[in-house]
Amino acid sequence: MKQPSAFVDRMLYILLVPAMFVSLYLIFIWSPIEKQMGASQKIFYFHVSTAWVAFLAFFVVGYYCVLMLKRPTEDRFIKAGISAEIGVVFTTITLLTGMIWGKSAWNTWWTWEPRLVTVLILLFIYIAYLFVRKMEGTWEKIAKLSAVFGIIGCINVPIVFMAIRWWNTKLHPVVFGEGKNQSGGGVEPDMLVTLLFCIGTITLLYLFMMRKGIEIEKMRLTVRKAKSRVIEKLAS
Amino acid sequence: MGYLFMAYTIIWALLAGYIFVLGKRQKDLKKELKVLEDWKSEQ
Amino acid sequence: MKIILADALTIAAKDLRNELKSKQTSGMMIIFSSLVILIFSFAFDPTNNTVKAIIPGLIWVITIFSGLLGLNRSFISEQENDSLTGLKVAPIDPSSIFLGKVVANLVLVTIVQMLSIPILFLLFDYKFHGDLIWFLLIVLTATIGFIVIGTFLAALAANAKNSEMLLPVLLLPLLSPLMIGAVQATKIVLEQEGITDAISWLQLMAAYDLLFFAACFFLFEYLMEGS
Repeated sequence: MKQPSAFVDRMLYILLVPAMFVSLYLIFIWSPIEKQMGASQKIFYFHVSTAWVAFLAFFVVGYYCVLMLKRPTEDRFIKAGISAEIGVVFTTITLLTGMIWGKSAWNTWWTWEPRLVTVLILLFIYIAYLFVRKMEGTWEKIAKLSAVFGIIGCINVPIVFMAIRWWNTKLHPVVFGEGKNQSGGGVEPDMLVTLLFCIGTITLLYLFMMRKGIEIEKMRLTVRKAKSRVIEKLAS
Repeated sequence: MGYLFMAYTIIWALLAGYIFVLGKRQKDLKKELKVLEDWKSEQ
Repeated sequence: MKIILADALTIAAKDLRNELKSKQTSGMMIIFSSLVILIFSFAFDPTNNTVKAIIPGLIWVITIFSGLLGLNRSFISEQENDSLTGLKVAPIDPSSIFLGKVVANLVLVTIVQMLSIPILFLLFDYKFHGDLIWFLLIVLTATIGFIVIGTFLAALAANAKNSEMLLPVLLLPLLSPLMIGAVQATKIVLEQEGITDAISWLQLMAAYDLLFFAACFFLFEYLMEGS
């Protein structure tokens, strides 16, 4: 059991490090500089990739929440938790890079644009989910409660997107067109290659962090169990 | 250009931060394991 | 289904009778919402004409803040004497507990709204010109959504020691789409703009209500098992 998992870890690591360097090379040197926005447009690659991973992590949380309702296991509980933690990190990155990009492109830190606000609310739901998990009590109880909250949160995200989109189009003119990247009229093929490569790299990073986090969390669990066993032994 | 620098600084800082948190957890684990081993040797 | 409804009404009646006797929660909620109005009148000068624009938002701020107080109590109060365990082991469907609590909270919050919204209009010297039926319909739809999801999360948060702090953190992000709809629809009705826009917001809110009611109704069983 231990051998293949260590092998997967090593393979991920071996893939991840060169992929990261290649994607950095692609972003900063290989891909062309956008004419209108200049060099700041290069934020876009990691911004989109982290946003993608943020949503991916969220759906992983939702998936394990549904499974946990069926039958709560420690494995599923840990996986949902680590995915949520990584989700918080990536959502924060998405928000901050989005704000910086907004500042450089449209000279404003924040616009009430549907995707931006959806990501912000996604962040709040993630944090609330982690708060639920921090509750005191047995893990079975927390597993059930957090699973229920995770599912409700998952249902909410698409509705938030729809509501905000509606709110914007009814009240304000849509200033920036349909997509953020469309001010240049679509994505150039070179940029698309870089973007796809970056998405792949960040997804690999997510998988790698996920495996590491799960491993550490499982070790923690084993140590805690061993500790309580020893304490019992000493007490008796 | 300054914005580009700022954005990537934030990205790397946050990723490093999370990896640091993971590392800290591992360190805490090591400490607890040491305590456990000490107990075992005392017995 | 009929049994669930009957049990739910029994639980709601119990809560409401209890409230009628003590008048603690409803009294607090009314006083609190009046105080919020007072604070807002300091924050935004009521004699200023532009303040009219924030009235729809204020209605919902008051409702949510005072509603949170009531929601916090609805499950915490059951923990005294371990009444919640009694409810759980009672030979009733867990969904009827949820339904009963929703009905009780809805009645409570509606009563508070019936007092606090006129107080708001009065203190801000706001003349109501909109269509009253549509206004009431919008307020009711949004309040139902708020209470459904609020009651559910109150039951969840009641398991934590710091449930009063946990509930708003859990509830507010989930309420955001409903609040966008509620504020927009209220604004449209109060400013007598085209009613068709308000209807589409109303549809969004109704869809939200139905979706979350169904989800909470089925998930409540797991919530009761878990706690």
